[in-house]
Amino acid sequence: MTFGTILFQLSKGLLVSVEIFVLTLVFSLPLGFIVAFGRMSKNPIIRTITKVYISIMRGTPLMLQLLVVYFGPNLLFGVRIGENYRFVAVIIAFSINYAAYFAEIYRSGIESMPVGQYEAAKMLGYNKAQTFFLIILPQVIKRILPSVTNEIITLVKDTSLSFAIAQAEMFTTAKQISAAQTSIMPLMAAGVFYYIFNAIVAWGMERVEKAFSYYR
Amino acid sequence: MKLLEMNHVQKTFDDLEVIKDISLSVEKGEVVSVIGPSGSGKSTLLRCAVMLEKMESGDLIYEGRYAARDVNGKSVYADKNELKEIREIFGLVFQNFNLFPHYSVLKNITDSLVKVDKLSKKEANERGMELLKQLGLEDKADAYPYQLSGGQQQRVSIARALAKNPDILFFDEPTSALDPELTVEVLKVIKELAAKHMTMIIVTHEMQFAREVSDRIIFMEDGVIKGQGTPDEMFNSEDSRIREFIGKLS
Repeated sequence: MTFGTILFQLSKGLLVSVEIFVLTLVFSLPLGFIVAFGRMSKNPIIRTITKVYISIMRGTPLMLQLLVVYFGPNLLFGVRIGENYRFVAVIIAFSINYAAYFAEIYRSGIESMPVGQYEAAKMLGYNKAQTFFLIILPQVIKRILPSVTNEIITLVKDTSLSFAIAQAEMFTTAKQISAAQTSIMPLMAAGVFYYIFNAIVAWGMERVEKAFSYYR
Repeated sequence: MKLLEMNHVQKTFDDLEVIKDISLSVEKGEVVSVIGPSGSGKSTLLRCAVMLEKMESGDLIYEGRYAARDVNGKSVYADKNELKEIREIFGLVFQNFNLFPHYSVLKNITDSLVKVDKLSKKEANERGMELLKQLGLEDKADAYPYQLSGGQQQRVSIARALAKNPDILFFDEPTSALDPELTVEVLKVIKELAAKHMTMIIVTHEMQFAREVSDRIIFMEDGVIKGQGTPDEMFNSEDSRIREFIGKLS
């Protein structure tokens, strides 16, 4: 296998990694809000359920969650799973796991807002939805961006965990080629790819943070 | 005409009775200052009046409309729509301004006019700019609150409250977060409003200011009104406690 072929194979894997990354964010970022509101709910049942959910998601390894989501339907309920389910399982496991982390970040951001902002909005006649979406949320986003960036960068690297269920993304590909060629080079190349991937993500997030820096 | 009436108001926080059976009424055009030591309940009274706190018992009446009615010793508040309309009668200026940091000065004033009162953007901007001009801040329209001094921020928050055309304006220690120099510029604005016969209720520690601006001063301590009267009556009060308190602070 030439160096060029290896890079080509890795790039194909990288594409899958990017897909996992993007789809996980698409689902987990909004889902995190629902979880955060559940966590802050006045209803004790909803609050407890979301609390337990978050603690399981944060308290057990993501790799284990991935295996449970992938094998669970078959081993627990005898459902026959097709080849397509592999990728779906990755997205489900990553999304529900990251939603828990995002939920806690959102919650800390929302709870850090001074009560005076709510009171001022109330005095000016804003309703609850307007208060949240116009006054609170934009400020919360600014506050939580650094923590969200951290999570997103971790996610780039966590996509490699899909290797546990043999999802053919970049890390799985690199490991296969490395074993077949008895060479460390494919793994090193994958490392460089991850690094570049994250550099781009970090640059993008920095731009977003800048967009919010017009006020303090 | 009575703009505000509070009858037998009582409020407790965790078994601590902060307001004990207070009644007061404010006439149109009247400027009332509420003074008293910290913990006397004056800010809580104001927060009950603007409905940021719920009273346990007592009536709260604006322009003859019941925001809350005492029923068998419990305050029963009016329905949501009625309260929404009653809220339009008054405005509040906070001690810490509570401007929206992500909005420009002008948008702080105009946003609720557009989103809540359904004014056109053009009308709202005109009203906003006119108020900024009155308060000498027209060159700050596009600035953000963090770029302003505390005194300027407080003037913007006064403009924000005035933009809603309230019949009554409440001030909760409007200068307590400001140094003396900036205090002057904010007090000047309030004095100008008083000269225009704006009805105002001001919780303050500024005795000389209260004396100059008020038609009536209310002295509160331990959750009750210990005395009230014109500034002259209060500054020459026969009650030694009131004289002592005013004397210490002026």
